[in-house]
Amino acid sequence: MTDITVTAASDVEVDREQLDASISEFAGSNGAYYAAAFHKIHEAAGAPPLTFNIAAAVLGPVWAAMRGVWGFFWAFLILEMIAWVQIGRGAWGNPGAKFSERAESQLSRSQEFLERAAEATAAGEDPSRFETLAANMAKAAERSQAQADTANAEAITILITGLVLLLAFKLLQGFYANIVYEKQYTRWRISPNTVESGLKQQNLLLGIVLVLVIAPLTIYKFTVASPLEILNTFPEDQFSHLFIANQNETIFTELANWLEARIDAAAVAGQGAFDSITAGVRAILNAMTLALIVTPWPVVMVVICVVAWRSAGPRVAIFTAAALAYVAILGYWEISMETVALVGAAVIICVVIGIPLGIWFGKSKRAYSFAEPVLDLMQTLPAFVYLIPIIAFFGTGNPPGILATIIFGMPPVIRLTALGMRGVPESIKEAANAFGASRFQTLRDVEIPLALPSIMAGVNQTILMCLSMVVIISLIGGGGLGKVILEALQYAAKGPGLLGGFAILFCAMVIDRIVQGAFRRADQD
Amino acid sequence: MSETVVKLTDVWKVFGDRADEAMEAIKAEGLTKPEVLERFGCVVGVQAATFEVARGEIFCIMGLSGSGKSTLVRHVNRLIEPTSGTIEILGRDVSAMSASELRNVRATQIGMVFQHMALMPHRSVRDNVAYPLEIRGVPKSKRWAVSDHALELVNLIGYEDRLPKELSGGMQQRVGIARALASDPEILLMDEPFSALDPLIRMQLQDQFKALVAQLKKTTLFITHDLDEAIRIGHRIAIMKDGVIVQIGTAEDIVMNPADDYVREFVQGISKLKLVKAHSIMEPLERYDGPTEGAPRADEEADLDQLIDHAVGSDLPVVITKDGSDIGVVTKPRLLRGIQGGKE
Repeated sequence: MTDITVTAASDVEVDREQLDASISEFAGSNGAYYAAAFHKIHEAAGAPPLTFNIAAAVLGPVWAAMRGVWGFFWAFLILEMIAWVQIGRGAWGNPGAKFSERAESQLSRSQEFLERAAEATAAGEDPSRFETLAANMAKAAERSQAQADTANAEAITILITGLVLLLAFKLLQGFYANIVYEKQYTRWRISPNTVESGLKQQNLLLGIVLVLVIAPLTIYKFTVASPLEILNTFPEDQFSHLFIANQNETIFTELANWLEARIDAAAVAGQGAFDSITAGVRAILNAMTLALIVTPWPVVMVVICVVAWRSAGPRVAIFTAAALAYVAILGYWEISMETVALVGAAVIICVVIGIPLGIWFGKSKRAYSFAEPVLDLMQTLPAFVYLIPIIAFFGTGNPPGILATIIFGMPPVIRLTALGMRGVPESIKEAANAFGASRFQTLRDVEIPLALPSIMAGVNQTILMCLSMVVIISLIGGGGLGKVILEALQYAAKGPGLLGGFAILFCAMVIDRIVQGAFRRADQD
Repeated sequence: MSETVVKLTDVWKVFGDRADEAMEAIKAEGLTKPEVLERFGCVVGVQAATFEVARGEIFCIMGLSGSGKSTLVRHVNRLIEPTSGTIEILGRDVSAMSASELRNVRATQIGMVFQHMALMPHRSVRDNVAYPLEIRGVPKSKRWAVSDHALELVNLIGYEDRLPKELSGGMQQRVGIARALASDPEILLMDEPFSALDPLIRMQLQDQFKALVAQLKKTTLFITHDLDEAIRIGHRIAIMKDGVIVQIGTAEDIVMNPADDYVREFVQGISKLKLVKAHSIMEPLERYDGPTEGAPRADEEADLDQLIDHAVGSDLPVVITKDGSDIGVVTKPRLLRGIQGGKE
């Protein structure tokens, strides 16, 4: 790209010196060319004028790479590869190969039949059957050959399409390059340390390596009728056997066995701890169950309706009564209350553990930076994945189900508590401090009250998250309405499944309405 | 004046991870601020602050934002620990106090008012004012009574059970003042209390505040970035620049004898009419040989405003008297120069 000559906007040189110097500094090499090109762009009133960058047109993505315009690099690498694949398909792809092959085999079959006909004639039998077959086969071969010819004729079209595309992309790059590069220059002026500038050797090298790795293999794979098998699938077995002598083992089996052994060992070693956790969870669940199921059902119903009325008003109370009636009439009462007990126990544990953790993370940036990835993991890891170790450590049934629910449901209350704590204005904390409040007093009188709206939003989120785990925990033996749905799913029982689904929906809606109503009232106070 | 209540001796505050090292180097080598920043990555917030505040005095600390005035005042109740130097309140070294002693001093002897009020939004006005007492464990009936009394002092009767957000900015700041007064502290720390208010409300509150402090005889450290406010309120003014106290003096001292160009620039726009007294611009009688017969007479404590009233009624200079006897004259040129700020 050395001998590019462009007629510069020569009449503006004098008062542009500083700008020119800056553009030259940005461009590194060929500063004069870019100064001139940018001038044109800078002087345009409307749409940017067309300047043709020959280097960009010829070198394409490699130009973008050495100039550090990586968005341009990837966009045009992909576009150029599309064009090259077309060219390849047209030039050596041999699209008619399949049909010609078939035509050949059909011809040989027809030849066979003709031979059998000749044999038959020699043996004094009627050869007409074989002759007909041979004629049909020959016709089929002709048709296949015709198809092959058409496909081959298309190859020329594909080739030309590819060439036209390539030319179009090259022109586009040539015209577009300076516009993009000028934008990069503007960004570079703002932050010269982070935006790439100049001609960098390592960028050029990286660009060439990327093009060499990506382009040939991709074009080969897309254009050749039967590419090498190794490009289709990763050769994991061969790879494993580079390291493992035993032909029956792979890296996968080794790792899986190792993990399994570790988990089993941990389950045995921590038996006591896991059992006591299970016992604790079961105790909370039992208390909830006692309140919701052992208490006579009319009492529970009345209490729920009154709570709905007091916290969220008459409309929610009427809706609650209707939902309870639905559940009770369809015989889901006890099993619904089991669901509520499960969710309730999970939420209680989430709140009791989550709020103190949230307060801690809100106060200590360092602790939060350690906790954040764990919280992300808890929310993004699919539930099925952690169900397995939970079964290993805690067995099946309701308490392990609650533990799984906690893993998924706890992050919101922790996060929002921490967020609320960080949102407490420094000045109010300082004021409390200035009047002699101890740390505990500041926490009790200032930080928690001011963070409360955020904390309550977190609790609400946690409740909804826990509700959404109801069906999943039935997979590891959790009871309640989730079990009804799971059974319906297994037998494809549409009616019972739908009825049970509505029962879950109503439970969730009632809980959500009541909780939100209560929080809204608290907010207003 | 009388007994010293607050006494700062050579107080330094250096911010940064290597503050102690930096402090030692400053003491040993006398580094300048840019050198400290370069060598230790530390910022000097307050540099060698020394002053005393007497009982009942309003001591203004004036400076632009970033001059370290808020940092300095937070040393008095140790919201900020000094890097070096001592701070005494009523003769007790604040830095030597234990945590519980410190909390006790904060709750009983120091009241603080903040620029952004810093009221607790979830508590009523009364409970906000009562909070310092609540911290000390004063029973509810007592602290409500005290709180109502404090609100009476700032004319906020009838708003006790409102939430702070229902009040206007000026009223909120009066709640802040009532809260600072509630525990009947010896010392008031006012951190730009009126800066966020609009000018009219600010003037009203300044006057109310000045009257209140005079009546209650509180020792006050008053922070402001507004020299007019400092002059209106303060008995003495300390001018801070980049962490250094440039000058301490009465309003008249500072206006008439600015310590350096920075202060001079500041006081230029200040009206001298009420500040400058006759004795500071008069010519001694011995050096004046013109006629004084029938000239208007004014006391040496008369300000420029009064001198002008005298001067317009006569062609002669104003004769200044002390205890009834003539001691000097203020000629018209001197009077005019005095209005300009003592230019010769």
